[in-house]
Amino acid sequence: MRVQYIQGPVWAKTGEQLRKSVVFGINPLTGKKVAEEIVDKLTRPLAPEDTRTGQIKREMGPPTYTGTAAELQQLYLEKRYTDFMPIILPTEELVNEMLKSTSHDPDEPLGRMFPGSGAGETWTYTVKVAAINAVMAGAKPEYFPVILALGSTGSTAINVSDNGFAAAAVINGDIRDEIGLNYDVGAVGPYAHANVAIGRAWNLLSINGGNCGKVGTTYMGTVGNAQNALATIIAENEEKSPFQPLSVRKGFQKGENIVTLFSGWGILSAKNWKVNEWTTVMDYPMMAKAIHEGQTPGLFGTVLVLSPPIANFIADDGYDTVEKFTEYVTGASAKPEPKGKFGGFNMGPGFQVIVTGASNNNYWMAGGLREGQSIAIDNWR
Amino acid sequence: MKRYIFAAAVAALCLGLFCSFPSMNDQVQAASTEKITVLNPMGTPPPIELKPMAPRLDTIEGKTIYIVNDGYPGSNILCAEMQKGFSEQFPNTTFVYKDKRGGMGGGDQALWDEMAEKADAMIIPLGH
Repeated sequence: MRVQYIQGPVWAKTGEQLRKSVVFGINPLTGKKVAEEIVDKLTRPLAPEDTRTGQIKREMGPPTYTGTAAELQQLYLEKRYTDFMPIILPTEELVNEMLKSTSHDPDEPLGRMFPGSGAGETWTYTVKVAAINAVMAGAKPEYFPVILALGSTGSTAINVSDNGFAAAAVINGDIRDEIGLNYDVGAVGPYAHANVAIGRAWNLLSINGGNCGKVGTTYMGTVGNAQNALATIIAENEEKSPFQPLSVRKGFQKGENIVTLFSGWGILSAKNWKVNEWTTVMDYPMMAKAIHEGQTPGLFGTVLVLSPPIANFIADDGYDTVEKFTEYVTGASAKPEPKGKFGGFNMGPGFQVIVTGASNNNYWMAGGLREGQSIAIDNWR
Repeated sequence: MKRYIFAAAVAALCLGLFCSFPSMNDQVQAASTEKITVLNPMGTPPPIELKPMAPRLDTIEGKTIYIVNDGYPGSNILCAEMQKGFSEQFPNTTFVYKDKRGGMGGGDQALWDEMAEKADAMIIPLGH
């Protein structure tokens, strides 16, 4: 297939603008008329390489690299094996130590990953590749089952889209305390080793195992997304939440170790500044409803990340289950979804609630994230 | 004195951090000259299946070329302008505008069948 470059973006331009810039325009890369280049691509005889068949296998370099620590840090940076930050160099010894935290065979295929949004090619990776990336991220071996669970989904932490999508994972169950996940002050921020290292491991596995996040090919975020620096790992504060944990609402047993994926704009999107209202009377259910209606129609729906005080305000207002609260926010009384659609992207009015963080004040977040699959972490021990 | 206590506390904290991650400490210590061997972190890409291009036209004169809108915002406007503008620039060629069903990622067998019968070539704007 021959490809013609045209100056983007196309979206939001008038017919007259597109007529001038494309139809009668010049290709800025070649200085030639777009129309003439298209005709050339349709009529220029095929060269021998245009008619080749068969298969090209690609090698991903040697299985190991040797050098001083400084040389290897530089090499991995240049090869874009990193997130531009120093890594723990993945020696065989450290990788084997990581692999001791799972009963799965190192050579077992773990996942198939593409850069998201239906784009790009699908790479595969093994349990051992996940262990290498987990070591690089600085993860402790006891985090590894969570990292494997994330890797088994094949979901990238770094989506290719020019929108600049974010990825998050919510963890429920006893493993939160077992491995030291933070669900208190700063729960969704980088303030605990387990949250940070697991998020980074997911990112690095996406970069290396799934070939994601490569600017210009598998990453095209127009302005990017700060949440891509570190996939957001959220442990629910089940103990202080008035609601059933997310995992229980999804059909798992309380205490069962479950990770649930989310993807979308992020946990604080531009339409949600109502969460920063300060008045003496705060009708949180009504505010949540207004936010959700403001985001509808939307690509990902709404996710609320509530601190325990806010969740308890909502419960005390009569919405003592997420189901009741969801019915209020999205139910018949809610503003109907406008007709029409946005480029075929609209996913409908999704709504989900996560409770985490501390109780030192009445803060919360509301973003555009949609939940994906839930995975049992213990299957990866 | 307070400053010394603070400095000592910071030093102890740093020491504690490194002690928590012996692997990093070891690598920092070994950073100067010792050579170590590390593992390649990459997954496996799929093989590239080579497919021959469709035969080219000898000319577009007298031919029918479909311009297909895949549904991305603005693509319909672009395709309509291409149909009009190319018809002006190449008056002896028939340009046909079509909307593809199934959004950006889906196929449209009815359209593929129609093009197999009626089109000599296709132009489809893809992507963003």
